[in-house]
Amino acid sequence: MAVKGIKTTDRHILNLANIVGDARSIIYHKEDLIAYDCDGFTLHRHLPKAVVFPNNTEDVAALVKYCSDHQLPFLARGAGTGLSGGAIPLNGEVIISLVKMKKLLSVDFENRRAVVQPGFVNLKLTNSISDKGYYYAPDPSSQYCCTIGGNVAENAGGAHCLKYGVTTNHILGLEVVLPNGEIIEIGANGIPDEPGYDLLGLLTGSEGTLGIVTKITVRILKNPESKKTVLAYFDKVEDGSQAVSDIVSAGIVPAALEMMDKTAIEGVEAAAFPVGHPKDIEAVLLIEVDGIEAGLDEQINQILDVCKNRNVREVRAAKDEAERGRWWANRKTGFGAMGAISPDYLVQDGVIPRSKLPEVLNKINKISEESGLRIANIFHAGDGNLHPLVLFDARIPGQSAKALEAGSACLQACADVGGTITGEHGVGIEKREEMRFVFTDEEIIAQTDIREVFNPDNLLNAGKLFPMPGRCVEIKRDLKEKETAITS
Amino acid sequence: MITTELLTELQAMLSPERVIEGDKNHPLGNSGIVKVYPQTEEEIASILKFANDNGKTVNVEGNGTKKGFGGLTESADILLSLSNYKGIVEHVVGDMTLTVKAGTNFKELQEYLTQFKQKISLDPYCPESATIGGIIAANDSGPKRLGYGSSRDVVIGLRIVYPDGKVIRSGGRVVKNVAGYDMNKLFIGSMGTLGVVSEVTVKLRPLPKYESLNLVLFPQGNMDEIKAFATKLLDSTMEPVTLELLSPSLSERLIGQRCYTIAVGLEDVETSVRYQENFIQSIQPALSELKVLSQQEAQSFWNQFYSLSPNSSTDSTQASLKIGVVNMDVTHVIKASHLLSDSHNLEVEANGGLGHGLCQINLSGSKDDILSAIQQTRELSTKLGGYTVINHLPFALRQEVDTWGKKPSHFFLLEGIKSKVDPNRVLNPKRFVGGI
Repeated sequence: MAVKGIKTTDRHILNLANIVGDARSIIYHKEDLIAYDCDGFTLHRHLPKAVVFPNNTEDVAALVKYCSDHQLPFLARGAGTGLSGGAIPLNGEVIISLVKMKKLLSVDFENRRAVVQPGFVNLKLTNSISDKGYYYAPDPSSQYCCTIGGNVAENAGGAHCLKYGVTTNHILGLEVVLPNGEIIEIGANGIPDEPGYDLLGLLTGSEGTLGIVTKITVRILKNPESKKTVLAYFDKVEDGSQAVSDIVSAGIVPAALEMMDKTAIEGVEAAAFPVGHPKDIEAVLLIEVDGIEAGLDEQINQILDVCKNRNVREVRAAKDEAERGRWWANRKTGFGAMGAISPDYLVQDGVIPRSKLPEVLNKINKISEESGLRIANIFHAGDGNLHPLVLFDARIPGQSAKALEAGSACLQACADVGGTITGEHGVGIEKREEMRFVFTDEEIIAQTDIREVFNPDNLLNAGKLFPMPGRCVEIKRDLKEKETAITS
Repeated sequence: MITTELLTELQAMLSPERVIEGDKNHPLGNSGIVKVYPQTEEEIASILKFANDNGKTVNVEGNGTKKGFGGLTESADILLSLSNYKGIVEHVVGDMTLTVKAGTNFKELQEYLTQFKQKISLDPYCPESATIGGIIAANDSGPKRLGYGSSRDVVIGLRIVYPDGKVIRSGGRVVKNVAGYDMNKLFIGSMGTLGVVSEVTVKLRPLPKYESLNLVLFPQGNMDEIKAFATKLLDSTMEPVTLELLSPSLSERLIGQRCYTIAVGLEDVETSVRYQENFIQSIQPALSELKVLSQQEAQSFWNQFYSLSPNSSTDSTQASLKIGVVNMDVTHVIKASHLLSDSHNLEVEANGGLGHGLCQINLSGSKDDILSAIQQTRELSTKLGGYTVINHLPFALRQEVDTWGKKPSHFFLLEGIKSKVDPNRVLNPKRFVGGI
């Protein structure tokens, strides 16, 4: 029986529409599909075959089974905020959008867990439980719109994961539709250490290549009794970096320890949430400690001492919640703020051992000089997670490719000091080739071997996460493709 | 003679004194006809490659504290001991990361880290003999998991020797990393069935500046009161690192008073710990008793606690169970375990984390009573939606009761992973879930 209102002769579209059962739950006209040709990584685009919006797990399973039976490539998508291109339909996939599955299914305060559907927005969870004094810890900057399903796929982080961990540390259970349409449940009832290999850990951060998550049990935490936030201005980046190391070495575990450099400060001060950072400083640190109120002053005093020993120009604690909020809004909108000082920007996501911070920042400076492009640095300094933002103008021929090269060089610099190429944004399409900076061919095969167990036909989100064979040629071609995409 | 041939072949790879005849009939099983002590990763790789190429099987152990944990083979061809593969590879004090060889003793590591005011935030059983590799392979954790998480939260990188001899790195040396699949997770708790972890990188934590242990004793044994206290504490902004319910027998052993006790651990700066102590006092139920142990006293309590697990015990009448349930259901499990000592002729000591849902029950008694108690416990945990795993049981009894319980419905994925990584079934045969 055909669904009313579907105007196509494509039998696959008709059949997919039948599964979701209503014409408003499927998009298949080219003009409507354009909105789905990329995600937060915009340098690569491809049209999907269709976008379907299932309402429940059974529909997801039926859609997946259909795709699998008919060898149609497919992938899952949440809010599309991913920064590495994980939800881009490279192969003309059928996109299974989970935005209609956005219920908070249950909250169990006594046992500190909540069950959500994958389309449930990250911040809404905290908002739904904050009246009881609880929150959900992972807080990516896009938390006001990104979905928890997407967070699981990318193993999303955030400013506060220094103390509280990333998504994987907060996932207790998952219902998953495997690439053949079978539904499995892992971490039943949210009980830890279920016997067997840790599939929860493996699936979290697998960038939607092993299965589609349809239900998530997460850990919820009690709000800390108190929070204190400090802002510190440094005339030298080295002093700021050293202060970061000193704070951690002093035995303090800050809830967040963020840093911005001069170019980044210029950006955030020109954008929507300026807070009056001095224009002539080289680095600002935003440091937050939380926990039992009685113990915080001691930590704050220690932090103030550390900063003073490192020649801080000015350091002060937020006087109230409103000021604290302003400081965080300024920081959390930092990426977008680059739009105020540059037509285009490219975000990178390398991680380094904290102690290498001064060395790598110097290296990034050199990369900036050599490429002739400005690079702003906004980063989670406490865990060594750098976000170099390469500023460029796509209208100038050659600049996009240069920006990509500079971004890749930043990741190489991270890898060279024993770091890694992504701390929270994922590999996606963007950093496929850079995987070779950190893994040998054998190590990459060890990972694709695991993918084969779950996704043997590689119909689910193919072409992501792992480098393509024949690297050099591919990289060059890839750069060319990306350049074409940008300039068009 | 097979043994002689195997000895000769392996002695050609390692220096002869590090290849010895094994104890095939060890009462805990999981032994080897030949026991080898590699000292380098290359040696580990060559032993595995030899086994893989020649159809031999390999059991792996550190110091043998988990010899009674799973396993339906009394003896493999080779027992690979990592007890000689030890030492710190790299400790970057400022980065608070540590890379060590798998056979390194856990207690020695913690003692070494103390001088830097750092620690590995794991609190496994038998720390004086357990190795870091064994703790991770068996995913052992203790009550402080509530405050600091378990191996999956602490391990940031591994080097793994695959059964065919190749060496694979997973994760790295940075504290945040999403490059590729999170392969670390596959090996944590895999009981050595996928590869031999040769090196482990962990993130460290600062040693707490002050600690205390608040023992809340419930002489009346009223479970509702116990639960109400725990719920109130959990719903407050206090930050206990343990909230462990002890059975009356365990409480008697540790503090000399036979009644249900909740052990609330506090670790922070002193002012914060004192403040939380006051809070606990303020919500202390009327008929309970409160004892506060500070600093060394608290540490001694925990040291004794961690030494109580049977682990490498070869006493044929001991068992140890790990039960996972929803947090507050821990009260049901601990109470049921207490009743077991009456219905069965058993000594039973039990504890469970009201903030994380994992319990440990140690049993000592006759074979039949132990088997029946395991079955009852497993029935209860299943009814509660959880599981029971047997952490320790003599080899002979493991033939009669499944260490892991029922296979999960997604077992084919576990089996699929095993087949990809170890197609010839070289490593720790039949040690894991569903005979993997």
